[in-house]
Amino acid sequence: MRSWGAPGLRTKVAASFALGATVLSVLVALATYGLVRGYLVQQREDSATRQAFADASYVREGLLTAGAPVSDVLAATSPPAGADVLVHRQGQWYSTSLDAGGDAVPASLRAAVVGGAAGVAWERGRDGPVLAVGVPLPAVGAEFYELAVTTELERTLGALRLALAGFAALTAGGGALLGAWAARRAVAPLHSVAGAAARIASGDLGARVPTTSDPDLATIVGAFNSMVDALQERIEREGRFTADVSHELRSPLTTLVTGVGLLERRREELPPRSRQALDLVVRELARFARTLDDLLELARLEAGAAARERADVAVDELVEQALEAGGRSAGVLVPGGGGLRACVDKQQLSRALVNLFDNADRHGGGLVAVSVVPDGAGVLVHVDDAGSGVPVADRERIFERFARAGSRRSLPGAGLGLSLVTETVRAHGGDVWCAPGPSGVGARFTVRLPRTGTATGAGGAA
Amino acid sequence: MGTVVARLLVLDDDDGIRASLSLAMEDEGYLVTGCASAEEALERVAAGEQPDVMVVDLMLGGMDGFSFIRRVRPLSDAPVVVLSARQDKGDVVAALEAGADDYVTKPFDLLELSARLRALRRRAEAALPADDRDVVVLDSLDGPLVLEAGAGTVRRGSSALHLTVTEFRLLCELASPPGRVLSRQVLLDRVWDRGFFGDERIVDVHVRRLRTKVEADPSSPRLVTTVRGLGYRLDLR
Repeated sequence: MRSWGAPGLRTKVAASFALGATVLSVLVALATYGLVRGYLVQQREDSATRQAFADASYVREGLLTAGAPVSDVLAATSPPAGADVLVHRQGQWYSTSLDAGGDAVPASLRAAVVGGAAGVAWERGRDGPVLAVGVPLPAVGAEFYELAVTTELERTLGALRLALAGFAALTAGGGALLGAWAARRAVAPLHSVAGAAARIASGDLGARVPTTSDPDLATIVGAFNSMVDALQERIEREGRFTADVSHELRSPLTTLVTGVGLLERRREELPPRSRQALDLVVRELARFARTLDDLLELARLEAGAAARERADVAVDELVEQALEAGGRSAGVLVPGGGGLRACVDKQQLSRALVNLFDNADRHGGGLVAVSVVPDGAGVLVHVDDAGSGVPVADRERIFERFARAGSRRSLPGAGLGLSLVTETVRAHGGDVWCAPGPSGVGARFTVRLPRTGTATGAGGAA
Repeated sequence: MGTVVARLLVLDDDDGIRASLSLAMEDEGYLVTGCASAEEALERVAAGEQPDVMVVDLMLGGMDGFSFIRRVRPLSDAPVVVLSARQDKGDVVAALEAGADDYVTKPFDLLELSARLRALRRRAEAALPADDRDVVVLDSLDGPLVLEAGAGTVRRGSSALHLTVTEFRLLCELASPPGRVLSRQVLLDRVWDRGFFGDERIVDVHVRRLRTKVEADPSSPRLVTTVRGLGYRLDLR
């Protein structure tokens, strides 16, 4: 049902939830990271500055008191691990480390210190960010710098980034799940509506969506149910009309059939011309009665009346009986197909089969063969005729009411027969279709019925 | 018009059907009494005009066909053929349960109605003794059941069981011989002379009706038992 091209409502809702959760969690994560990072950097700068001032004052004292060489004073200082101290005095750089020279000091910091102000600066060093603190020592005519590699701060921030990213990802996933759940909950009532619609479509006009107290759903459920009510009323009204008309026709028709039957018995007493007239009346009356029967049967089937008296029968026997009931020879039944059984209303299905035989005789140049063959879980009844076949364009249409293929409009027989076949077969859970004949001649009408077990049913039938 | 074969009561409020049926059935030798209302028909039967067979339309003004069948049953055991509308198949079961014996659907074929009537009369006569097996005693679990074929009656002890002609015939079929399973189709053929397209519910309803009369406890039958998927059987001690 769902096409992959256009995402469904549920997918959309879940995606919206996921997107919203992602945006929110990313914003929260970024803000958190910004705040924490600012705080940690400030802390680090403060402690570095304190340390630098302490070390600077130690260096200044050393230089002031003893007038000792800068290198000796530096050797006596003990900067914290990972920190280097540099002193610039009289154009000369002194350092506690071999690999840190004057060029390691950021130029902006240097300018500030030379100008007489202490300062802090960050620089990207070889082993990570370097925090440089500069202190002017005017009393001894020197500049003091302390450079500290802040790898531990980097590590802390890295761990924080990881934690926040994980949190954001989890929130997005949770959002998606929540969205999917919410969407399913929101769509669930639509499922019951869809279920009811499907049941109605399959003929259960009494199906309704259970009423709900949820004000958001009550409207759609109410609207759906009242639509079905209106539809059902209309269908029933039309069905009743057909049934009423047919019903009204039944009594006069019964009288006619009985009266004509009486005349027929006394056929020999009639003059020849009257006999001819009688034959005409008999034939047309039979057709009238059959059409009325078909109409009533159709009205009944369409009113959704399900099986009345289903019995488990041998399909080949049913076909044979239907052939005989229509006054045909059972000889056209192709041998084989014994033991195939179906659960059917014998009278209804026989009437449908007779209609197919009649159709073959009237419109198909004569009934040629009837065969019963197994087909998976079903059983097929093929009815072959000797006509010119049914054009592809008409193969669906001929099963409609009062439809007749092509130019055969002048042939007798009301076009109710095949639509009755369709309705009957479908009421039995089967199907009927039309195809070209097996040897390229004529048409083959096929009825498919669900098969019942091959065990003998109500056995003992004659 | 020859000799009278049987007395037929036709109950239908449609003048056309009643008139044409009377003409056709008189042609076959029946002595036909036509009634336009159930009240009139009941009056005639009660007054002693015992028909041999009845044709009853279900849809009548005033008292309907179902009520008529129920009310006429204490007065007559004669077979009743119901005229039913095709799409009201539920009515058929209701009519059979009220006591009808068979049905035809309108518009019916005269030949079909004749065949139904013939079958019902045939079996009514066939149930009468053709040989000297006048009395059959069925040794049921609830005590012996005495079938008097000559009188068409069944007795348990000293009390007579009131069976209709069709119920009696059904019991006779099941009893010859007892203990054999008869499918509904076979019973339909033998008792009702119905072919392949016969309605098996006729058998079911008659068995149900028969049980209410011959079983000590109709809800758990011990005499006329159901053999699932096969049919019915008469069980004796």
